[in-house]
Amino acid sequence: MILDPSILALLVSSVLISLMTLYACGYGVQILRRWDIASGSELQLALERRTYLISTIVSYFLAFQLVSLFLLIQTVDSICHLFVGAMCAVGTLTVNSFGYPTLLLKVATFILAGLWLILNYADNKGYDYPLIRAKYLLLLIMAPFIVAETVVQWIYFLGLRPDIITSCCGSLFSQGSRGIASEILAAPSVPMEITFYACMLITVAAGTRLFLRGKGGYLFAGMSGISFAVSIVSIISFISLYFYEMPSHHCPFCILQKEYGYVGYPLYGLMFLGAVTGLGVATLQPFVKKESLEKIIPAMQRKLATVSVFSFLTFTAIVTWQILFSSFKLEGY
Amino acid sequence: MISVRDISKVFNAGRPNEFTALRRLSLDVQMHETTILKGPSGSGKTTLLGLMGCMARPSTGRISLNNREITSLPERFLTEIRRSTFGFIFQQFNLIKGISALENVMFPAYPTGEKFSTLHKRALATLEMFNLDKRADAKIEWLSGGEAQRVAIARALINNPMVIIADEPTAHLDTKLSQEFMDIMRDLKARGTTIILASHDPIVYDSDLADRVVEMRDGQVVHGGTGP
Amino acid sequence: MVIERHLHILDFTLSSLLRRKGKNGALLLVYTLIVFILASVLFFTHALKREAALVLKDAPEIVVQHTLTGRYQPIPVAWGDRIGKINGVISVRPRLWGYHYDTLLMANYTLMVPAENPPGPGSIDLGSGISRTHGANSGDMIAFAGHDGVPRMFTIRKILDSESQLLTSDLILLSEKDYRDFSGIAADQATDLTLRVRNPREYATIAEKITRMYPDTRPIMRSEILRTYDAVFGWRSGLMIVILSAAALAFIIFAWDKATGLSAEERKEIGILKAIGWETSDILMMKFWEGTAISLTAFLLGVILAHVHVFSTSSALFAPVLKGWSTLYPSFRLTPFIDFGQVATLFFLTVVPYTITTIVPSWRAATIEPDAVMR
Ligand SMILES: Nc1ncnc2c1ncn2[C@@H]1O[C@H](COP(=O)(O)OP(=O)(O)O)[C@@H](O)[C@H]1O
Ligand SMILES: [Mg+2]
Repeated sequence: MILDPSILALLVSSVLISLMTLYACGYGVQILRRWDIASGSELQLALERRTYLISTIVSYFLAFQLVSLFLLIQTVDSICHLFVGAMCAVGTLTVNSFGYPTLLLKVATFILAGLWLILNYADNKGYDYPLIRAKYLLLLIMAPFIVAETVVQWIYFLGLRPDIITSCCGSLFSQGSRGIASEILAAPSVPMEITFYACMLITVAAGTRLFLRGKGGYLFAGMSGISFAVSIVSIISFISLYFYEMPSHHCPFCILQKEYGYVGYPLYGLMFLGAVTGLGVATLQPFVKKESLEKIIPAMQRKLATVSVFSFLTFTAIVTWQILFSSFKLEGY
Repeated sequence: MISVRDISKVFNAGRPNEFTALRRLSLDVQMHETTILKGPSGSGKTTLLGLMGCMARPSTGRISLNNREITSLPERFLTEIRRSTFGFIFQQFNLIKGISALENVMFPAYPTGEKFSTLHKRALATLEMFNLDKRADAKIEWLSGGEAQRVAIARALINNPMVIIADEPTAHLDTKLSQEFMDIMRDLKARGTTIILASHDPIVYDSDLADRVVEMRDGQVVHGGTGP
Repeated sequence: MVIERHLHILDFTLSSLLRRKGKNGALLLVYTLIVFILASVLFFTHALKREAALVLKDAPEIVVQHTLTGRYQPIPVAWGDRIGKINGVISVRPRLWGYHYDTLLMANYTLMVPAENPPGPGSIDLGSGISRTHGANSGDMIAFAGHDGVPRMFTIRKILDSESQLLTSDLILLSEKDYRDFSGIAADQATDLTLRVRNPREYATIAEKITRMYPDTRPIMRSEILRTYDAVFGWRSGLMIVILSAAALAFIIFAWDKATGLSAEERKEIGILKAIGWETSDILMMKFWEGTAISLTAFLLGVILAHVHVFSTSSALFAPVLKGWSTLYPSFRLTPFIDFGQVATLFFLTVVPYTITTIVPSWRAATIEPDAVMR
């Protein structure tokens, strides 16, 4: 293991967060089993008070998880020279098979926590705790992921040994690394560009429809999920090229570095925001019929859709700007 | 109308020190009237005021406010109703020390997110009603007993409540201040405010203010409950 | 509406914090101190790592040394020709460099013949540290005793002022002719050979070929040096952090105590607020702002103080402990920096534990029953 302060920080904080989550889950189970809104018993009053604690914990979790996601990338990037062949975060993450799972679990738990808070917000608007069961079931689904993330992250960092030979973005994300003609590289890029713009177009259209007619919640949410995934693939496939202005640098992490003006932070931030708010629409959809939320959910969905569409549009605008004004041109590669 | 039906309040249920403060109590409080709860110490007056004022929920039974059932509402809804419907005057003044009289008056409106300037204006106007505008910036601990009492009343009025709830308001006041308090209540009543007072002070329950006196003992109404 | 609500609550929180100066002042002081110490350690070791990386950025990929029974020896320049013919080696260059011990000031200097733009015979470039200790500036004459004890006079061409003071502070650059004369190294020999190599993946093979060609040489790879540096610095700061965690733990206990030990007066205040219409989430919000105000102040103060400490006072407080270097080393300035990773690391080592510690106590405070003040 490498005794780096950032690694220690990540490990310690993830353990603390996991413990808090387990603590919250204990009460979550109690709420699921003993909840009785009609009762004025002291147990019920105590459980209602607990709900405040749990939502506070999840809110902090969401904030911390976002920072920890970027810190993980930053950390593995800063220690990459310890590994032969690694030139940035990608190389360090591939040192053992737990690097990417850690990253993915961080993304997943972040999104789940965001969805939980959306449910929580809606629930708090209803006068009879309409979503209490859904909310705590989701918490129980979330908890194993959070704990798994802590465990996998430990294994990953424990397994990091200097001198392990790894490969980096140069070879991992480029089809032409063995000197094969550059046209191979161009081939997947152009269809990807088309897919990306098509995705964004459909998402915005679906969002507008949801906003105007209040219809197509699942369609929009599904599209925003797909857009999120397509955006990540697009970053690797072609967006990164315009930022690096190099034909074979396909790294999804280097755009977070100073050399590229930290442009990765707003880009990923917008993607996350778009995905969480977009998927939030679907999370609320099953409960539209709840009497106490009849008015609340459609209004919330509209707001969420607006934020989501706005995020994806801004994301697309930044990318398009770069494509148009970057001195790098994809044609010919 | 605040209608209380069959409510019980049990403290420490299931434990050896279980205590039933209210048992199967029913009561109607008419709007624009003054109702006085009277009874010995420990008879459950404060507990009942707390339940009617949406501070706590009964163990069983139902309470409705203007025909809206409020018993099983989550705390955040109860608080909203409490904030907009009730103004509280406590036995101790319960003002926050180290802070000006004006700010103390403004506190109940903070969570509503009212604009600072309008809130400020309203609070000053309320203090003016009680001739306290000159003491607005004075810290609580600099106020005399009479001034502190009037600040406490001003605070109860800041959110324009329909109902004023006062628990043993005269317990810590001398006769002169107690009379002054009753005069203020009389003014409020004249303006149509509903008043609920709990007291075992004759100055309060024997006053001409009372439209109805409800007598309590051992967590039950012994006299003056439902009906005229 | 929502903003106003936040502003009102924030306003109240700040005035409450100020009303309880004693308690919050103590907390803030300890908190700031913890951030300061951790930040100093982090900044210092990270700055050293960066300096090391700067040294090595332009360093050759492979350095070949000549050894005799395991001891260092000058290397014949002619060997470079054969090594240069190995596949994958772009260029070979002999280097001339060494150390000079200044008996007067009891300091060690590094002498070097630069590859580009060397000073002419009779003149030298001087590192800022030596310039300071000798009080010598460009244009002045300066004398150093050579290998035979005879002093040689040099004119100072310029004072070196580069990105990394750590590197150039003790440096003397001179011409090849002067160096050979000064050190007495034979004309056909060099200190070592440096290689440029096209593909990092070939380092190992090339090194192997060299040792087969000249068994009494030792090839050193840049990546190895960098890794060793890094491991040492990282390990040291990691160790420091582990030790400091004990201090942090004490702080957490302190914070917990402060947070749980709500004074009777504070409990009463919260009770009053709840009774007059504040809701549990309003109080939680207040506690959130309280924590944010304290954390933010302590964090910013601690980080700024540490920044000043490390980059303006050369880590006066603990440089000897961390560096473990000779005190003869001329004083130097680290290059200031600040980056997201460092700040986030500090955040996770201080603010996150503090915040997690205060969640439950805050919640307990926030769920005081509103009718408590009526009793
Ligand atoms: N939170 C509580 N826990 C336990 N007992 C309580 C609590 N609040 C009130 N009581 C008890 O309930 C009884 C009624 O109290 P209260 O309503 O304050 O009466 P009153 O205001 O008429 O004096 C008292 O005996 C008191 O001890
Ligand atoms: Mg009482």
